[in-house]
Amino acid sequence: MKATVAQRQDRSWKDGALSLVKRQETGLLGVIIVLALLVSLANENFLRTDNLYNVLQTVVVVGIIAVGQTFVLISKEIDLSVGSVLALSAVSAGAAYGNGVNPWLAMAIGIGVGALAGFAVGSVVVLGRVSSFIVTLGMLSIARGLTQLLTGGLPQSMPSELSFIGQGRVFGGIPVSVIIFLVLVVLGQLLLTRTVFGLRVTAIGDNDAAARTGGIPVGRTRILTFVLIGTLAGVAGIVFATQVGVAEAQAGMGYELDVIAAAVIGGASLSGGRGSIIGAFLGACLLGVLRNAFILLALSPFLQQLSIGLVIVLAALFDQWRQGNLRHLSPARLRQRLVARQKKA
Amino acid sequence: MTSTSPVGDVRPAALVAAGLAKSFGAVRALRDVSLEFPAGQVTGLLGENGAGKSTLIRLCSGQMQPDSGRLVLDGREVSFGSPLEAIAAGVVVVNQEPLLISELTIADNLFLYDLGERPAYGRAQRGRNVQRARELLARLQMADYLPDPSTICRNLSAASRQMVDIVRALSRQPKVLFLDEPNSSLTHEESERLFAVMGRLRDEGVAVVLVSHRLAEVYSIVDNVIVLRDGAFVAAGPPAEIDQQRAVALMAGERKSKVVSEVVADRTPASRQAEVALELAGLTGEGFTDVSFAVHKGEIVGMAGLVGAGRTEIAEAVIGLRPVNRGRISLGDRPVHIGNPGRAQRLGVAYVAEERRTEVFHAQDVGYNLVVRILSNLGRLGWVSGRRAANQARELAQRFGVKAASTQAPITSLSGGNQQKVLLARALAARPRVLILDEPTRGVDVGTKAEIYATLRALAHDEGLAVWFISSELEEVVELADRVVVVRNGRLTLDAPNTAGPTPIVAAAMGATEGTE
Repeated sequence: MKATVAQRQDRSWKDGALSLVKRQETGLLGVIIVLALLVSLANENFLRTDNLYNVLQTVVVVGIIAVGQTFVLISKEIDLSVGSVLALSAVSAGAAYGNGVNPWLAMAIGIGVGALAGFAVGSVVVLGRVSSFIVTLGMLSIARGLTQLLTGGLPQSMPSELSFIGQGRVFGGIPVSVIIFLVLVVLGQLLLTRTVFGLRVTAIGDNDAAARTGGIPVGRTRILTFVLIGTLAGVAGIVFATQVGVAEAQAGMGYELDVIAAAVIGGASLSGGRGSIIGAFLGACLLGVLRNAFILLALSPFLQQLSIGLVIVLAALFDQWRQGNLRHLSPARLRQRLVARQKKA
Repeated sequence: MTSTSPVGDVRPAALVAAGLAKSFGAVRALRDVSLEFPAGQVTGLLGENGAGKSTLIRLCSGQMQPDSGRLVLDGREVSFGSPLEAIAAGVVVVNQEPLLISELTIADNLFLYDLGERPAYGRAQRGRNVQRARELLARLQMADYLPDPSTICRNLSAASRQMVDIVRALSRQPKVLFLDEPNSSLTHEESERLFAVMGRLRDEGVAVVLVSHRLAEVYSIVDNVIVLRDGAFVAAGPPAEIDQQRAVALMAGERKSKVVSEVVADRTPASRQAEVALELAGLTGEGFTDVSFAVHKGEIVGMAGLVGAGRTEIAEAVIGLRPVNRGRISLGDRPVHIGNPGRAQRLGVAYVAEERRTEVFHAQDVGYNLVVRILSNLGRLGWVSGRRAANQARELAQRFGVKAASTQAPITSLSGGNQQKVLLARALAARPRVLILDEPTRGVDVGTKAEIYATLRALAHDEGLAVWFISSELEEVVELADRVVVVRNGRLTLDAPNTAGPTPIVAAAMGATEGTE
């Protein structure tokens, strides 16, 4: 009797441990820690505080948008236009300031332009019933074109009053942009799991038809997710431009892929209904650590590109495994199939 | 494998299973089951949800491999590595959900398995397929059962899709034919057609195995019944030996046999209250015309009719999922405009749609599925209190008898019957005054069915909820409804108290009382 109870306890402990390991966030955190330890063995500079802040600072722009992309992916849509919208927002802010607008208002205009772009995308997706892949592919080009038109290809200088956003440090060296990022991550996670809006986003992504019958305003919720990612792309644009001091028309080129990668590594599913903001944060961090490691270890940048691709695929496979979709590859199953084949022969 | 015709080939047992067992992790889905399916007989395979029927069929047809045990087909031991091998050997399954390619024609779907063998699959081949399909249907005497074989499958009704799947199965000249809930989406008349086909196959010497929750229909055709419970073999015998009452008792075990008899006894007609809860007046839209009837407070109205008669369309129009072209909807005595389901819910009308599989939020847990419709009530200013959500979910699960490890368990870990209870609880969470249910117990086992009936009766008769349910199961309408309305070709053909038994309902649904067509 005692033995069985002990066994059961043992098993439940194991189950608990397994379920913890099976969480995408825990798995990611483990990978990041192991990677960090390995890199620090090769180069002790890695674990220095200012290097860690550097790592975080490099992922801030991608990470902020990844928060929004996670919402969009959970709602079973995708946004490919974020890199261009980032540039459009930054340039709008810069141009407004150049025309004598108050710096804070200029910043608000920049972020507002991002929100507006998101609203436009969402409206076409919902009212025109066009796939978001196509609409945002269009917006990718439209926003970039507008950026060029607006600036004539010339960089716009950002107000020096705002440079603390990209370059400032507070509380003994913590970059302001990193604090903005962390606050947005926490707010994003709360928005996703603790508000009517966030839980509705999950519903429409998991089962659009059931959400509709259930009285959830599907169209409105979907448009709002695009407004959200547009706004966050705007914020990222301001952060990016204040980091370098100027808003360039070429800013954020190709960022959409990094953003989607971060969200997917963090456990967001392209088939909707699942995803985590904390996961996206960790996903962005993993990408940052990898990039930093390759620089510190002076390895070939080609190898860096290759390894980031591998990480994306491995993360997706891990996600499949924890969903129990890889059971057909278990040794028992494979043995069974082999036996069946031999019997036939 | 040989492909001899089953005709005239009478053997005592076409398929024998000996000691079959299968586990999924810690769950023993099937334990040491030995039974036989005789040739030239229809065997009814009975059991509640989770009794192991589907697992047994999968093991017999190569969709899964048994952990242990043997299969003997026509006296030879066999082992199927894949469904295709089983089909080649003559073991064919018709699934609950027919697997058809919607963009192909009926003919192409019938000969789908040949696709891979013909690299030059062109227009000419398609024409030949249609010709072959016509010949096949003529040979099987089933040409009237289906639209022309050149029809694209996308727009077929559920019944026709099922029929295509059955014809496809028959075209493989099966020795053993498994039908897994083939009639769950068919109406009475369509089921009878299907049973006629099964009868003919039996006469040709095929071992037919039927799985269905509609006991009365099963008993109208079977020569044998086999009862499974909790993954184990319980009993087998001719229907004379195991009658319906006894089968229900065997399926349920000792625990539930009482509940069922209680339900049969509890047929007290409702004390009809005068107050109207929901009234439709001359409602017209796509698929239905001039529909008028009322659901009173504390009353259960059953809506019968053939599949495709327009019943779901009416419900969806009331709930705001479809446009209403003409007519009026009133709640209480107040005419209302319900533009969308959200407004319907705020006005106190709740809806449980037809398909369980398409109604749950698959990737979420039980708790989420329970409270998803009442998120706004669980906090202020758009916030949702985690504690209140959890409490509400636990309370709902308890009140409606949802059996789950916890409210954090994935919804997909629940049995079909329990998922159905979750859907019911979810609709009732918002405390509606009118509840509309489309096929509330489809594919649900006997015990859960009885529980759902009891819940609905209590809600209506004790708490004054107005209930309107749509059902293709005649027994269900007769048993549960206080009043019956029947829809035929989008029009109401009967609106009467449920006192006259099934005959007038069938007549109204089939148009027997109507001279005009």
